[in-house]
Amino acid sequence: MSTATLAKPTKRQAKPHRAAAAGTGARNQSSRLQLLFSLPALVWFLFFTIGPLGALFYFSTLKWAGLIAPRIPNGIKNFTDLLVSPVFHQAIINTIIQTVISLPIVIVGAFLIAYYLNLKPRGHRFIRALLFTPVLLSASALPMIFSGVFANQGMLNGFFKAIGLTDLSKTTWLVSDDTALGVIIAVTIWGSTSVSAIMFTSRLNTLDSDVMEAAELDGCGHWRRIWLIAWPICLDFIGVVTMLQFLYTVFSSGAVVLLLTKGGPINASTNLSFLVYDYAFNQSKVGLSQAVAVMLFVVGVIGLLAIRRVFRQRY
Amino acid sequence: MSRASRYQERAALRRSGPLMWLGHIGTWFYVVLLIAPLYYLLVSSFKSNTDVLARPFSPFVKFSLANYTAAWERADLGQALISSAYITIGSEILSLALAIPAAFALARAKGKIGMWVERIFSLGFLLPGFACLVPAVMLSIQLHLFHTREYMILSMPASAMPLSVILLTQAMRAIPHDLEESAMLDGASSWKVLTNVFLPLTVPTVTVVGILNFLSFWNEYFFSLVIIGPDKALRTAQVAVPALSSQNSSQFGVLAAGVIITLIPVYLIYVVFADKMEGAMLAGALKG
Repeated sequence: MSTATLAKPTKRQAKPHRAAAAGTGARNQSSRLQLLFSLPALVWFLFFTIGPLGALFYFSTLKWAGLIAPRIPNGIKNFTDLLVSPVFHQAIINTIIQTVISLPIVIVGAFLIAYYLNLKPRGHRFIRALLFTPVLLSASALPMIFSGVFANQGMLNGFFKAIGLTDLSKTTWLVSDDTALGVIIAVTIWGSTSVSAIMFTSRLNTLDSDVMEAAELDGCGHWRRIWLIAWPICLDFIGVVTMLQFLYTVFSSGAVVLLLTKGGPINASTNLSFLVYDYAFNQSKVGLSQAVAVMLFVVGVIGLLAIRRVFRQRY
Repeated sequence: MSRASRYQERAALRRSGPLMWLGHIGTWFYVVLLIAPLYYLLVSSFKSNTDVLARPFSPFVKFSLANYTAAWERADLGQALISSAYITIGSEILSLALAIPAAFALARAKGKIGMWVERIFSLGFLLPGFACLVPAVMLSIQLHLFHTREYMILSMPASAMPLSVILLTQAMRAIPHDLEESAMLDGASSWKVLTNVFLPLTVPTVTVVGILNFLSFWNEYFFSLVIIGPDKALRTAQVAVPALSSQNSSQFGVLAAGVIITLIPVYLIYVVFADKMEGAMLAGALKG
C-alpha cells in the first residue's frame, strides 16, 4: 500500500488533516520524539560555536600573555587600555574607512552590473561565468594573487611602466604609508563585488518584466528605471546583501591584511580583525586580543542592526 | 521572460543612447579589472622568474611546468592536498549527518521547542566565527586535539550548521504530510520515513548544502592555520601555499602555480555543478 500512496502524492494534498482527528495524540508524541533528531546538531552547534563565544567574553577580562601562560583576572583593564591605545584607534579608523569606502562601491557597482547583465547584452553569459571566479578563491589564495599584482616589480607597476608612467611604476604599493590601506580596500572590493553582482542578477531576474516595460512605455530611461523602480523593489534584498558584504569586510579582511601587509608599515593598514590575530599569535597579548574580539563582535552587531534599519522596505 | 519581450529588450538596448554606452564601457572595464590579476596569475605560473619580472604580460614566453613541480615539492602540496581532502570530506559527512536529521525533526515540529531550536540556528548567522579564534584554540587544547586535523573535522560542521539546517528544514517542510502519514500507518519508523521518504525528495537541496559547505571547508584558512599549525604532514593546502611566498618572496611564478593547484578541485566542482552554483549562492544569501 505504501508504494501506491507514495507514487501519487499530489492528488491527496487537498485534505492534509484527514487523519488528524484520529491520531492527534499519537502524532504529537511522535513529533516530540522526532524532535530528538535535532538534538545532536543543536548540542554540536552550541558546544563548538556558542561555547567559544561565551569564553571570549571571559577571556577578554584576563591579563594573559600567551596561550600557555597563566591567566590572571584583570577586570576591564584590557578595555581601558585599548581605549587609550593608538594602535587600536588606528585599527578602528581603518575599519571604518574600509567599510565606508568599500560598501557603497560594492553594492552600487554590483547592482549596476546586475541591471546591465539582466538586459542580456552581448557577452552576458561569459561575464556571469567569470563573476564566479572570485567566489572560488580562498581567504589565502586571494591575497596571494594580489601579492604578485602589487609587488614592486609586479603586474601593476609593469603596466605603468609599459604605458610610460615611469614615476608611478616605482611605487612600493604594499609597504608605503599612503597606499597600503588602499591596496587592502581594493583587494576586498575585487574579491567581493562579483558575489554581490551574482546575487543581484538572480534577484533582478525575478522582477516582473511588465513593470519595467510599462515604465519604458511611459518614457522612463534606464537610469530612472534603475533607481526609481528596480532599487526600491529589491530594497530588502539589497539590505541582506549589504549585511553579508559588511560581515565580509569587517571580519574576513583580516586574512588579506595578514598575508599582504601584516598591518604595516607601522600599523598603517591594520584593522580590527587583523589585530585580534596579531595580538594573540604574534605579540603575546592574548587577553588584549580577546578584548578587541569583543569590540569586533559589538561593531558587527551594531553594524548589522544599522544596515537593517537603513534598508527596511518602505512600501 | 518571454521570447518576444526579450527581443524588445534587445531592441531597447540598441536604441538607447549614451547611458547604455556607459553601461557597456563600465561593465567591460570591470571585466578587465576582474580578468587582469587572473591572467597575470595564469601566465606567471608558466614562466621563469626573470620572465615574470621582465615581461609581465606576454603569454607563455617559454612554456614550462617547472613552477608547478617546484611548488609541489617545496610546499609538500601532495600531502597538503590529502590533508585538505581528508578534512573536507570528513566535515562534509559529519555536517550532513547532523543537519539532515535535525532538519527532518524541525520540519515537522509543532510545539514551542521546535520553534526555539530553529531560532537558535538562525541567530547563528550573526555569529562572527572569526572572533572566536582564541577560544577555539583553547577548546582544542582542552579536548587534546590541538595540532590535529580532527578538531577541524569536528568543529567546521558546527559553524556550517545554521545554514545547512535552515535550508534543509525549508525544503523538508514543503513535502506533503500525507506521504509520511501513509508510511507511518504502514508501520515505518521515523528513521525509515526520513531515509525512504524525505531524503530522496530533498536531494537537490542536499546538493546545494553540500556545495556551499564544500567551498567553505576547502577554503578555510585562519582556523587551520592556528589549530592544525605549520606541520607539513598535517597542514592544509590553504596553509601550505602562503608558505611558498614567505620562503621565496621574489618568486611569484612558483606561488602562482601553487595557488592554481589548490584551485583545481574547487574549479572542477564549479564546472560540474555550474548550474546549481547560482541557486546555492542565492539560497545562502537569502537565508543569511
